[in-house]
Amino acid sequence: MTWRAAYFRDRLLNGIGLVALVWILWWAFDWLIVSAIGWGGDRASCLNATGACWPFWAEKWRLMLFGTYPFESHWRPMAASLILLTLVGVTGCQCARVIFRFSVRTLSVFWVLGCIVSVILMAGGIFGLSPVPTTRWNGLPVLLLLAILSLILALPLGIGLAIARVKSQSAVIRIAAAIFVDGMRAIPMVSVLFVGIFVLPLVFPRQVNLDPMWSTLLVLIVFHAAYVAEDVRAGLESVPAGQSDAALALGLTRMQVIRHVVLPQALTQALPALLNTIIGAYKDTSLVLILGLFDLVATARMAFSDPLWQRQALEAYVLVGLWFFVSCRFLSWVGRRIDQSSVR
Amino acid sequence: MARRNLNWMVGAVATLMCGHVIAGPVMDEVKSKGSLVCLVSPNAPGFSVPDSQGVFQGFNADFCRMAAAAILGDASKADIRGVGFSDSLKTIVARQAHLASRSITSTGTRDADPGVSFVVTSFFDGQGFMVPKSLGVKNASQLNGATVCAEEGSTTLLNIADYFGDRGMQYRVENIADKTARLAAFFSGKCDVYASDVTALTSDRLLATEPAAYQILPEVISAEPLTLVSQPDAAFEKAVYWAFQVMLNAEQFGVNQANVDQVVASLATQPKGVARLFAKDGATADMGQKLGLPTDWAYQVIKQVGNYNDVFERHLGASTAFGMQRAGGVNALVRDGGLMYPYPIR
Repeated sequence: MTWRAAYFRDRLLNGIGLVALVWILWWAFDWLIVSAIGWGGDRASCLNATGACWPFWAEKWRLMLFGTYPFESHWRPMAASLILLTLVGVTGCQCARVIFRFSVRTLSVFWVLGCIVSVILMAGGIFGLSPVPTTRWNGLPVLLLLAILSLILALPLGIGLAIARVKSQSAVIRIAAAIFVDGMRAIPMVSVLFVGIFVLPLVFPRQVNLDPMWSTLLVLIVFHAAYVAEDVRAGLESVPAGQSDAALALGLTRMQVIRHVVLPQALTQALPALLNTIIGAYKDTSLVLILGLFDLVATARMAFSDPLWQRQALEAYVLVGLWFFVSCRFLSWVGRRIDQSSVR
Repeated sequence: MARRNLNWMVGAVATLMCGHVIAGPVMDEVKSKGSLVCLVSPNAPGFSVPDSQGVFQGFNADFCRMAAAAILGDASKADIRGVGFSDSLKTIVARQAHLASRSITSTGTRDADPGVSFVVTSFFDGQGFMVPKSLGVKNASQLNGATVCAEEGSTTLLNIADYFGDRGMQYRVENIADKTARLAAFFSGKCDVYASDVTALTSDRLLATEPAAYQILPEVISAEPLTLVSQPDAAFEKAVYWAFQVMLNAEQFGVNQANVDQVVASLATQPKGVARLFAKDGATADMGQKLGLPTDWAYQVIKQVGNYNDVFERHLGASTAFGMQRAGGVNALVRDGGLMYPYPIR
């Protein structure tokens, strides 16, 4: 192909792409604004509209965010969600080296406090907050709690597993860690979730009344830990053997070598892969829907199951999709910033 | 758990010592906690769906309220929780809920489980087929070779297998778990037939852009007596059973949520049956004492929840999006040709 042909081909492809983009944007604009029924409109006019039904969002946004959580206490899941989102936002910005410069210790304290306060806000039962059973925890806070708590707890577990698999001197521990990690990764998440909900309670004695919310969390932690372990293992193996040999020769103990020499380099190497795992795990959290936990997708379904709003499934799913798009976009922005700064 | 056992024992000891009615453990637990945990489906239009405030509304949800009104005297003390289908019976067996009002079909093998009791059928349903009129099919026997859209893993599929198998007819199933997607597949012509319970079909049909282009075939191929399920406990079951009968009796006598106060104020001029339902020394007051219910439990059920017709019309009837006709159908009173038979309260 001559350069001229290539030039015209590229121009043509660009043109087609531009037309497609404009067409999609116009279609979205038409659906959202032009043909839509406005925020203050009424339900009846939505039935014949070809565009979005804003009154549906106006009517159902609280149901979609918080589900069947007692209405008068909605400030509690709202506050819990804001705390968790702020923590993620601040930590993300710090990783991306934007605005915040807290020490790791300060940030850890924030995280521990934030998680405890969020759970207390949701559960109640102390400080004069009325108790709310986990069956009424729905929507955004469930998604955030499950995703964030499972990932926070899976990270140290996964790092431990990776070290056990690569650096342990005992063959038994190495093999056990390998079997666990590879076994977990060979099973689909859905099966693992079902085991957690239906088999785990059979293993425990009858008196232990395992709440579905917490047993799901337990399963998610164990599952994500296996993937984290693989990412970290790749990082560990990329650190040249000379590094730990030199550190050992300087008289550091094996634990000190891992902690101060190998792990920092390994984690830096593993970060892009880890971030991928985190984004994937976050999106997969919605699978808990099949276990009867009502996350954002489930509450969206509740919203358009209302007999009066059954035609508004698209509006409900658009909102959920938008939420996942924005949050995943943020996470991958953080990932790219980390990549850039580690190259520099 | 330990605390619940303690409550239980305290309750049991107290009842024994005071020589009160000896109710079952479930009844005692409901009363000591002051709330009745009742399971419903999280998203069944018309039967149980959270309203915009997150409070469950619908036909099934109202029977949770009926039980709470009868036992605790306050319909709002029903702690209504949405659970998936497969979890509901398990939760009852595990004693984590008192009642399930969740369109559970009463079947022999289910009732044989010692952990659950099927108390009273609140709704009779059956499985049917919906087809586009353009298909030109007049009854289900003409469906040989059809592609059927049905819910994955449901008894719907088993009933279809029975029906087509018994008649030596061929069919293909399009399994789609999500209802919205399933309906979209049917309306876009991906399958010829949509199979579900008849009541669901009537409401699903209205979701088509042109409902008149679809029809529901006359055959009903399965029996689905949708029944309230409780933990086994004689006193609790009797309370739920007779609260339901009060709703049927009230309808029979023309007493509804709107006129009950008026009726109770003029009991002397009312038929004897009405007096037995609501008088302070009537049959229900006597029953209440024996079952350990508030004396005016029958009045509370009608006042706070309504009679059977009130509940049906409120959530499924002509004024709703479903526009279901009760008269002439199986859920009408016996005198109107249905299966709802008000047992005598005397």
